[in-house]
Amino acid sequence: MRLTGLPAAPGLAIGPVWRYQAANAPPAVPPPVNDATTTRAIIGAASAGAAAELEVLAAGLRARGATEEAGILDAQALMAVDPSLIDGAIELAATGVTPLDALHVTARRLAGVLAALDDPLLAARSADVLDVADRIARSMLGIRVDPPRRPSIAVADDLPPSVAAELPVGSLLGIALEGGTPTAHAAILARALGVPAVVGVTGLLAALDATALNLDAADLSEVALDGERGEVVIAPDAVERVGFTERLVAIGARRARDAALRVKPLATADGHRIRLIANIGSPRDSARAIAAGAEGVGLLRTEFLFMERSRPPTEDEQTAAYGDIFEAFGAGRPVVVRLADIGGDKSIPYLELAAEANPFLGVRAIRLAYRSPDLLVTQIRAISRAAARAGVVPHVMAPMVATIADVELFRALVATAQAGLAADGAPSAERLICGMMVEVPSAVIFAREFARRMEFFSIGTNDLTQYLLAADRTNAALAHLQDPLHPVVLRSIASVVAGAAEARIPVAVCGEMAGDPAGALVLVGLGVDELSVEPNAMDRIRAAIGSTSTAELRSVAATALTAEDATAVRAAVRPLLERSAG
Amino acid sequence: MTSIELEIRNPSGLHARPAALFVRTAGAHRSRIRIANLTRGGQDVDAKSLLGVLGLGISSGHRIAVSAEGEDETDAIEALRRAVNDGLGESLDPVGG
Repeated sequence: MRLTGLPAAPGLAIGPVWRYQAANAPPAVPPPVNDATTTRAIIGAASAGAAAELEVLAAGLRARGATEEAGILDAQALMAVDPSLIDGAIELAATGVTPLDALHVTARRLAGVLAALDDPLLAARSADVLDVADRIARSMLGIRVDPPRRPSIAVADDLPPSVAAELPVGSLLGIALEGGTPTAHAAILARALGVPAVVGVTGLLAALDATALNLDAADLSEVALDGERGEVVIAPDAVERVGFTERLVAIGARRARDAALRVKPLATADGHRIRLIANIGSPRDSARAIAAGAEGVGLLRTEFLFMERSRPPTEDEQTAAYGDIFEAFGAGRPVVVRLADIGGDKSIPYLELAAEANPFLGVRAIRLAYRSPDLLVTQIRAISRAAARAGVVPHVMAPMVATIADVELFRALVATAQAGLAADGAPSAERLICGMMVEVPSAVIFAREFARRMEFFSIGTNDLTQYLLAADRTNAALAHLQDPLHPVVLRSIASVVAGAAEARIPVAVCGEMAGDPAGALVLVGLGVDELSVEPNAMDRIRAAIGSTSTAELRSVAATALTAEDATAVRAAVRPLLERSAG
Repeated sequence: MTSIELEIRNPSGLHARPAALFVRTAGAHRSRIRIANLTRGGQDVDAKSLLGVLGLGISSGHRIAVSAEGEDETDAIEALRRAVNDGLGESLDPVGG
């Protein structure tokens, strides 16, 4: 029997069923209660026990990278000892109700309050309260959720993350839920564990019960789960099994290929190394970038610290944020921190910036520091302190550099920050590796001069394209002028690479072009050393570059440089792309 | 008694994680601490109860009133003010570069 739901985590699985049912009415006999003191002790001990279990489970999830779910379990640990729940249950038990009933009645009342809220995110927490009460009840009765005895597909109305987290690693082949949505925590957890999930399968539990009645237990032994198409097949027949098995093998092979590529440094087919690094915008992105195989960070956008607030971030706050990122990546994966690229079109209330007619050509980024150096000095101090804490050498990058005076200002800001830390006796990085964004036409034309004064370049192709073609990138009517594969952009990149080569400094590209397989192939052909891309683009960039040779890439790049428009460049790259996709 | 009014600017309001941090910060102080949602109205609740705080349904943009009474009431209010203004462990809506 085939049922349809929503695909919630990719992959396929076939295996025995493990049913989970919430223990809202546990079958065991409640322990006898003599007096108020005993009641208090029973509920208190069970609540502390449940909280301790949840904290351990949260730590386990965090270690597996499921930070979102770890956060839910942390909140549940707090709920397990919440005065509203525990004192409420104790008071109710004092009226003669058994501790177990008192607990469930109180939990249902509190869950009802949350469920009635018009905020869906908060209303969703009501299930967490009931789940916590179940756990306290189990703790009170000394029982545990009976885990699957062999690797199984979990089938339930809903599978609370606290229960899923408790199942032994490897015992979960997949998750099929009658309820839930693809954003349900069980679905997110399935993705973190790498097992398929299908949710919202209406009629799943009834169909399973009906099948169980009509068949011998042996025949019902399995269900097949298709997390790509969102299908659940109960008791699959021989034909369905063959189809499933074939797809399972193909998916396994694809995953093994991706994973094998991730552990190997990126190189062309003939072994020319390219550093593949990540663009990230907050500490939250670190784990995702590392899992995707990033060799470091080519662009840490720091605006997350400066936007949407009424005062600038403090040095300590910034130090903590950068320190977390430096520690996550470690000394082997360097992190390039871009100084705050703010001003102009990005409104920052505490800077009191005047409105400008042309914000993209206005007082932004490094240009702000002529008037207010403190903002960037504080930022550089924080970067230096964080690097000292993490034991790494930080890379710092100035945005919007257009003149030699901008570089001198940048160097002066770094010197001021380092001297200030030394005077304060604060720990600081021994040195900061200083580089600049190349995103303004004047920086391209002066690439050779800048290369002598900087330690690395990172080309921001989004801004460079808009400035070279004089086309506002926020103006949809000019979208046809935004393709960074335009030969004018490519020739600019080639001249930046040449200028950098004279001074022997590396060139990265951190614009969207580097994450577009066609763009990445041309960039490597032009001699770019590092591609800095969004973590989710890494697999396809590896696949594109790994199947081509340096000679082919150089030849395509040479053709691209003499093309007359971006369409011709894309046509020249297409044969290489099609080969890597095949 | 010390009290303060604050605006919650977390993109998803005081959902589980930021609310947990708020409750932990409150729980680290001895004073009796209460919190009310001024935007929705209604009664104040124990700021050390996560379920109480979640039950206030505090969404992004809502204003809250926090009051503390006890020996460390000034510290408690200052710690909660700082925690809320720093985003309660969340970045307050980053905007791309």
